[in-house]
Amino acid sequence: MILDFERPIKELEERISELQRLAGESEELLAEISRLEEALDAARRRIFSNLSPYQRVQVARHPDRPNFRAYLEALVEDFYELAGDRLYGDDPAVRGGFARLLGHKVVLIGHDKGADVKSRVEGNFGMAHPEGYRKVKRLYGLAARFGLPVVTLVDTPGAFAGRGAEQRGQAWAISDDLMALARSPVPVVSVVIGEGGSGGALAMCAADYVGMLENSYLSVIAPEACASIIFRDPGWAAEAAEALKLTARDLKEHGIVDEVLPEPLGGAHREPNAAIEAVGVALGRVLSGLGEMDPKTIRDSRHERYRRIGTHAGG
Amino acid sequence: MAARFNVCPNCEFHYPLPAPDRVRLLTDPGSFREVDGGMQASNPLGFEGYEDRLETARARSGLQEAVLCGVGEIGDRRVALAAMDFRFIGGSMGSVVGEKVTRTIELAYAEELPLVVVSASGGARMFEGVYSLMQLSKTSVALARYVEGSWPFVSVLTDPTFGGVTASFATAADVIVAEPGARIGFAGSRVIEQTTKERLPEGFQTAEFQREHGMVDRIVHRLELKNDLRLLLGILA
Repeated sequence: MILDFERPIKELEERISELQRLAGESEELLAEISRLEEALDAARRRIFSNLSPYQRVQVARHPDRPNFRAYLEALVEDFYELAGDRLYGDDPAVRGGFARLLGHKVVLIGHDKGADVKSRVEGNFGMAHPEGYRKVKRLYGLAARFGLPVVTLVDTPGAFAGRGAEQRGQAWAISDDLMALARSPVPVVSVVIGEGGSGGALAMCAADYVGMLENSYLSVIAPEACASIIFRDPGWAAEAAEALKLTARDLKEHGIVDEVLPEPLGGAHREPNAAIEAVGVALGRVLSGLGEMDPKTIRDSRHERYRRIGTHAGG
Repeated sequence: MAARFNVCPNCEFHYPLPAPDRVRLLTDPGSFREVDGGMQASNPLGFEGYEDRLETARARSGLQEAVLCGVGEIGDRRVALAAMDFRFIGGSMGSVVGEKVTRTIELAYAEELPLVVVSASGGARMFEGVYSLMQLSKTSVALARYVEGSWPFVSVLTDPTFGGVTASFATAADVIVAEPGARIGFAGSRVIEQTTKERLPEGFQTAEFQREHGMVDRIVHRLELKNDLRLLLGILA
């Protein structure tokens, strides 16, 4: 899939490969190729160093963007996956289990957007139902029981809005996760690798460390929904994305997240390995830095971190 | 209808109740002391149009924000009380609502009081973006501390309670009481119908629906609410 603003890049790439096919020994064509390659590099730089917030949202949603499965493949040596909430069912929109990640024993949890049409549909495009969030709570509990840090990879448009999700207490399930995180006696380390849609993301990233890939976003509401409500027109999504200050850089500036993790020029979908490596470097560093900490210190510092967020006048 | 706290005398429909009336409904006369009444929202993201919305809401409701907090007595028992007001930008939760609810929780913890929160909210306040989202975590870390003590937290859900408020403190209570007919949920039914193209059944997301699905303990008529809380606090507090 080619995003609108990627077109000039795509066109240059196509012309280059066309010429490469024809060039042979022609010095003239080879010179033209190298001229176009410079133009391509410049276009990439120009486009991707000035992405608007809404363009970043589109990059974050790109179907070829590396997702939970790619990170699992690249960063995790052993994964003992668990299933089910022990109440209703298993939700493949969110996956987790015991893992050895870059040599560290952890409980790993992530939204799974799937690899092909079948698994994307099964995983509901990363939009979990209550049973998914209840599985997450189970995993938080197991991490606490075995003294393992929790690592979450966040990538969801949001918690699912549907009849079954409401009947089974979507809000209750998310609230339970937030309470479980607030009380967790082990370190919680999160990286937003793609979409960070509202409560469904927060239930997995109210953490002690939050890193965000450069083109990921974290928002209280999808920009399209915000535009429908505030501007009464979903076509104003770009304006809404701008106003919501939902990019990694904005959130870092506002002191909400800890670190912006660099993506390769052109976005994570162009060079998945580079993005995965950036996340791996951050996770490795944060996990190695976790010394022996007593549960009270961990809980107190998490309390401090979230207690202070907000602004007001008077009072 | 004012004498019946906005409950229709003919059909018993529960219309939204302004927060000051809620306080009058629940607390013993003259016992309520408001805290943080002057706290006002700032505009942390510089969101265009937000200040105007705030000004209109203040003028229309006579309140500074969407929640009124303090300490009062319910049948001679002191409680920390927070009452939300839907008239103020749809009872939406931004930094101030999050901060005031959090301070009420902390006050209850410090003074060893039962905590009663009456919710009425469309969800998180969009104009404050991720600051609003983070209020879910802020209230949760405060509640996590509160529940280490042995004082009860009672959540009263009124029409409507949705989104970020339902996904945080409003459902994290020891006891959840709802008013008859109140619409309660995560996503609103219009959003669900738009995303899933599903026709939703009659009575979807009402208090009665939530009670039937095991999400709410009791449905209590507004004019019985104070007695209901007295009964509970008499046993637990």
